Amino acid sequence: MMYELFIAPLTETYFQKALIGGSIVAVVAGVVGCLVVLRKMAFLGDALSHAMIAGVAGGYLVMKLMFGIEAHAPGMLLGSLLAAVTTVALISFVSSISRIKEDTAIGIMYTGVFALGVVAVSIFRHYIHIDLMHFIMGDILGVADSDLWVSAFVAALVLTVLILFFRHFQLTTFDPIMAASIGLPVLLLDYLLTTCVSLVVVSAVSMVGVILVVGLLITPAATAYLLCDRLDRMMVLAAFFGVTSVIGGLYLCVWLDSAGGGAIMLFCTLQFLVVLAVAPKYGLLARWLRLRRMVPQQIVEDVLTTILRYAKPTPMQVLRQYVENGAGLKRAIRQMVQDGLLRDRQGVYLLTEKGEQEAAKVLRAHRLWETYLQTIGTPQEQLHATAHQLEHLRSDGTVEYLDEKLGRPAQDPHGRTIPGE
Amino acid sequence: MPTSPYAIEVDHLTVSYHARAALLDVSVRIERDQLVGVIGPNGAGKSTLIKAMLGFLKPDVGSVTIEGQDVQKVKGKVAYVPQRGSVDWDFPITVREVALMGRYQRIPWYASPSAADREAAKEALAIVRMTEFADRQIGELSGGQQQRVFLARALAQGSDILLLDEPFAGVDAATERAILEVLERAKKTGKTLVVVHHDLVTAAEYFDKLILIKQRMYAYGPPQAVLQEDLLSKVYEGRLRIFGKVFKEETT
Repeated sequence: MMYELFIAPLTETYFQKALIGGSIVAVVAGVVGCLVVLRKMAFLGDALSHAMIAGVAGGYLVMKLMFGIEAHAPGMLLGSLLAAVTTVALISFVSSISRIKEDTAIGIMYTGVFALGVVAVSIFRHYIHIDLMHFIMGDILGVADSDLWVSAFVAALVLTVLILFFRHFQLTTFDPIMAASIGLPVLLLDYLLTTCVSLVVVSAVSMVGVILVVGLLITPAATAYLLCDRLDRMMVLAAFFGVTSVIGGLYLCVWLDSAGGGAIMLFCTLQFLVVLAVAPKYGLLARWLRLRRMVPQQIVEDVLTTILRYAKPTPMQVLRQYVENGAGLKRAIRQMVQDGLLRDRQGVYLLTEKGEQEAAKVLRAHRLWETYLQTIGTPQEQLHATAHQLEHLRSDGTVEYLDEKLGRPAQDPHGRTIPGE
Repeated sequence: MPTSPYAIEVDHLTVSYHARAALLDVSVRIERDQLVGVIGPNGAGKSTLIKAMLGFLKPDVGSVTIEGQDVQKVKGKVAYVPQRGSVDWDFPITVREVALMGRYQRIPWYASPSAADREAAKEALAIVRMTEFADRQIGELSGGQQQRVFLARALAQGSDILLLDEPFAGVDAATERAILEVLERAKKTGKTLVVVHHDLVTAAEYFDKLILIKQRMYAYGPPQAVLQEDLLSKVYEGRLRIFGKVFKEETT
């Protein structure tokens, strides 16, 4: 059973090639994707992949008509790069000279260039033999040896550039102004990165297709982004997530007999969602726990004043009655014992010295607010309730302001002493 | 060795954007070891002046000279501390790495940061008292700490001239004090600091010299000389009333 599920596919040549080719592409896509994500240019991958078909068709045609060479791979590659760079240039041109914003310009240009490619391929279908479906969906299970070589070469080249110029890319991404001020060729580095992204996209399209390639570029990088606080580690982890996506996706594809590219991206996305949920620092679960652990200041202050007013060791029931009945109270008390505000004497609670000081501050605020409310004509029966809400406003000299304005009263409206500072 | 007695010399500088002069005939000579504030209303060209001192702009007329050399030829002699709002605080980078960036200029492109580079970054962090936060991601720091990290980077760069763009924007009074203290200490170690500042009330207290600009140069000199009612009323036009407080403090 296990053999059938896991080992048997590995013995098939098509599966081995898919695994190797996919992993090579995923590693380099993950690494370069980190910079794409951090520079907020995910659209670039999309524009590039859509432009590619026009580029490939153009490259194919030129090589065939001028030199009579059929399906010349370097020609098509060059065509793709040219088309990609043209698309990006058109996007920035349109958005900078007209009132059209960049997101709209992106939408217009890459669908336009994509459409140009589709029309060209269908008009010249007698000259050039390009399978449109292959382009759109990719065909990782039919990876040719030549594709493997191309992607291995691209991966080696791009990884070398990124490792050699790691610091340069890090600095120009993080702080381009400083990069320029120490004399780094910022513009040149931008072009170099765009070229790297184009190469990766071109080598990945034949495997996962035009539509999914952007996912392979940014999803593993985004997954790693949720787990890392350093760029070098993020790159390593993004490469790892890329490879696991390919492995997981290929098994999915064999088991479910589905499309290869789709299965890979589905697995990649699920992987992202899992990490998004459970990441220790930036995950949803961690965020939820953090919020839950936060003890509202209001409950803390209410506990303090309740014990101060009760004036002797206070049992839980009393606190429940005056403060709040629920899980929040228990958590607040635990936290307050930890912070040294309360002492727990077998179920009854008393204030520590620090707790007493804090409680006196709140009480002072409460009684000053009551006095203030009375002077502005608040009905007698509302004094306590309103002051109870307002006593939590104590920052930035609020209480001092009240004290001064009221002429430093000694007693509140009920005749009780207002504690001093 | 320094051939010029001045850290920064701006000479008849005019810079324009789309046929509008952002700076018009600005000349100023900043001596060494000074804490200099640049003040002026919004859109007065304060950032443009800073950019010109970094050598990013091609002036229409005039020149900027850093320690006697043309600014275009001395990359990295001037360290820049960006405005807090312009930094991506979610970037995966630690405090230590930001400080290390100050050394990038000295590291050949094929080599890794050396022990000496790491040591310099560490020292810079110690000067701004951020050593204990070295392994934190920069987004986890408070506003003042974030500002200090970038100051450490500028110090690690070893430049004698530091340009700071609104370092006091959006921090509380205590933090402002702490940052100012670091600036004072940097000055004592022989740095020249040029700081874009927006608060006229504190300007007199913080800086040795002030530059008052609004496209044109209105004044450069000690705060008492620059914060004159007639000068300020020219630069700030109708909004002068709110500065009544400044004059009173100056005259007492």
